[in-house]
Formats: sequence, C-alpha cells, structure tokens
Amino acid sequence: MNALPARTMRGLVLPLALLVAWQVWGMATTNPRTPTPTRIVRAAVELVESGDLPLSIATSLGRVFAGFAAAALIAIPLGLAMGASRPVERNVDPVIESFRPIAAIAILPLAILWLGTGTPAAVLIVAYAAFFPIVINAIAGAKRINPTLLRAAATMGLSRFAIMRTVVVPSALPAIGVGLRIGMGVAWTAIVAAELAVGAKAGGGGTGGIGSMMFIFYAYSIELNRIVVCMIAVGLVALVLDRALRAAMRWLMPWSAS
Amino acid sequence: MRLRPALVYVRTMAVFVAVWWLVSVWTANTVLLPSPPVVFDAIVDLARDLELFQHAGISLLRMVLSLVVAGALALPLGFAMGLRRGIDAAVDPTIELLRPISGIAWIPLALFIFGVGNTLPIFIMTYAAFFPILLGTVAGVRGVDRRLVDAARTMGVPRRTIITRVVMPAALPALLVALRLGVASSWTAVIAAELIGAPSGLGYAVEWYRELLMTPQVMSFIAMIGVLGYACDRTVRALAERFTPWAGDEWQR
Repeated sequence: MNALPARTMRGLVLPLALLVAWQVWGMATTNPRTPTPTRIVRAAVELVESGDLPLSIATSLGRVFAGFAAAALIAIPLGLAMGASRPVERNVDPVIESFRPIAAIAILPLAILWLGTGTPAAVLIVAYAAFFPIVINAIAGAKRINPTLLRAAATMGLSRFAIMRTVVVPSALPAIGVGLRIGMGVAWTAIVAAELAVGAKAGGGGTGGIGSMMFIFYAYSIELNRIVVCMIAVGLVALVLDRALRAAMRWLMPWSAS
Repeated sequence: MRLRPALVYVRTMAVFVAVWWLVSVWTANTVLLPSPPVVFDAIVDLARDLELFQHAGISLLRMVLSLVVAGALALPLGFAMGLRRGIDAAVDPTIELLRPISGIAWIPLALFIFGVGNTLPIFIMTYAAFFPILLGTVAGVRGVDRRLVDAARTMGVPRRTIITRVVMPAALPALLVALRLGVASSWTAVIAAELIGAPSGLGYAVEWYRELLMTPQVMSFIAMIGVLGYACDRTVRALAERFTPWAGDEWQR
C-alpha cells in the first residue's frame, strides 16, 4: 500500500460504519419499504435502466441551463456596468438590494400565477435565483480592477467601449466565474425546490424533472428507496456541475488563482 | 449634484413602483398584477389583522430554533475538526458526501418521516444551516494564528484555557460570518419547507393565498419574506460589528 491511503482509509471508516449500521437496522425492521443501502442500489439500477431517472435529470438540467443562461445574459453586462460606473450602480443598486433577500422559492407562487405550472415558471425561478450571485460578483469584479491599468488605457486614448472590452472584462472574468459557479449551485437547488413545490401544490405533479419525480414517489407510490436514489442523484448532479464549472474556469482563465 | 443615498434609494424605488403601476394598468388584471395601492391596502389589512406578523413570527421562531440546534451540533464538531487533524480526517469525508444534497432535496423523505407540521421545517432548516456553520467554524479555528497558540502554550496556559481564551476570540469573526451564511440558507429553506409541508408560516401563507388567487396578499407576504430576510442579515452584521469590532471590513461585507 502506498502512503496516501492512511488518511483516506480513516475517512472511509465512518461512512462505511454508518452504511453497515443502516443496513443492519433496515434488515432488523421487517417492513420491506424501509430504505436500506442494498434496496437503494437495486432501486437505482431499476430507475436508471427504465430511463426514468436520466430523463428526469435531463429535464431538470434543461430548465437549469435555460434559466441560468437568461440570468447570465442579463446579470453579467448589468453587473459590469454597475461596477464600472458609479452613477449606474447608485441608481440600480436599490432595486437589486430590495429583491435580493427574497428567496427564489418565495416567488414561485407568483410564477405559477403568471406562467402556469410548466417549464416557463421553473425557468423563471431558476433565472431569478441565479441572477443575484452572478450580478453581485460581476459588480465586485469590475470594481477590483487595477486603477493603473484604467489610467494607462485612458492615457493611450482608448474609447470607453474599448476600455470596457480590453481592460474591464478581462480583469473581471475571474470574479464573474465565481459568480457563475455560485449561481449554478443556487439554480440547481432552486429547480429541485420549484419542481417539488409544483408537484405538491399544483396537483398532478406531471411536469417532469427530478424534483417532481421525488414528490410522486412520496405522494403517490410511497417508494422511499427511490426517494433516496433521487436525493443521491440531486447531490451527485450538484457536485458534477460544481466540479465541471471549476474545471472550465481553470481552463479558460489560468491566470486566476482560485 | 450628489444626492444622499437615502434619496437615491427613494428615487429608484419610485421609478420601480411607477413602472409597476403602468404595467398593472396596461394588463388590467388584478389577479395577474395588482396595482401598487391595491397591494399596499392588502399589506395594511394583513398587518391590522396581525396575520402578517403571526406567520412571520412562526417562521422566525422556527429559524431561531433551527439555528440553535444547528449551532449546538456544528460548533463543537467544528472546533473538534479544526483542532484535531485526526477527527477532521475521520469526519470530513462523511460531511462532504452529505453536503451536496441540499436541504430541499430532503423534503419528500422528511415529509414521510415527520409529516406536515412543525418538525419538518425545523429539520430542513437545521440541515441547511448546519453545513455553512460547520465549514465556517472549521475554517475559523484553523485560521487562528499559530503563534498566538504557541505563545500561550509557551507560557504554560492549559489546553482548555487556550481554547476558550485564545482560539475562540480569534475565530469569532469567522464564526459570525458562518452564522450569517447559516441564517441566509436556513431562511431560504424555511420558505421552501413551509410552502410544501407546514400548516403555518410565511411560505405557507404565500401558497395559501396563491391558491385563493388573492395576488395582493401573495405579494404582501413575499414582501414580508424579503423584509425579514434583510432584517436577519442586518442583525447578524450588527452582532459582528458589536462583538468583533477589531475584525476588518472583509468580514462585514
């Protein structure tokens, strides 16, 4: 064995012990619905083979990407403008700060009233949720520019637009990347919440997506093992999205430290 | 001419309300978009019946309870993980396995276990607040200047006193930042949890009035959610300024 595993092995003890304890407890209680690790694995295989789980995840991800793209398209230019120009920031900031404390899920009832219980309402919630972290990081990024660079660009007679393109945007990119990453995490949480709530409150719950699938397993067919599979899937997708964005940022912007 | 920030705020919000009013006149549909005075009346009525404050009080109480539980679990664990590498190595992977599963994803299973009621939102919020508090505590304890600990140890200060008199004060700014993040995530979670599985609270009220198609009331409760979310954040920030005045600006923004 090489040197690395000592720490890794110690880290594995607790999760494995918990899994074994869970399995033993589940086998001791005779109810066949009780989730246990082995039943969860079986449920996961079933859900993947039938294509239900991949389809739900794809539906949810499609909504996330649509809402996220809309949020980024509005938030990045707005944030850069606010960070680069004091008057713009002073005038727009009150609206952003007034809406920021309102959780995305709180406006879901309004979104349902406006757009019904389908995909558009879910996309709106995602866009709303992702908007704030992206815009705030874009503002911070545009403010963190080295003033010497700005002065140098102005001295060389660059136009406002050229300064924006050649100085402001490149130096703000790392912060924008952080905002996008946080925004993606928030967006994924928001879509699960929105789909769950739509399933719970709008009846039927037949709008697709992983959240709605979880709610169907809870409310109509009481399949706890499948609920746990969905929870793990939600976590895995969150992890993969985060890692993918991190890797993309490192690849696109090798000059940004973290 | 430079206006004071408060005036700029009022001016911007006046523009916002004017645009909202124009759009509401244009749509001419009170269910879709009630005009500002209608919503204002709804807020006044709900405030006069105390309904607004009852639901807000319930949600706030749940949040405080869940923060106490989350803090009671996360602070000792975070100190242990921050001070002892062995504990960190043993516990951290489990934490990192659970952390990507958002509190909201627990709602269906928690609904099955606890049913609709008070326990569900408190469980979800505790879960949501636990991770930011834990990670912030670990980072805060680890970030304590080694030289301070070494100096205390050189002077023969017992380990327990080092923790209470050196590590705790030095980690306090980070702890308060962790608390702020915990408050923010538990406040988001309470709305989701109440919307789906509680018979009271702000999230429940928003959805209740949506089902009745009473949009002005829906907007009143949404506004209340925003106001309280903002107030909670300001409170924690004020705590940070009060108790850790030595901490730099970086902790306060």
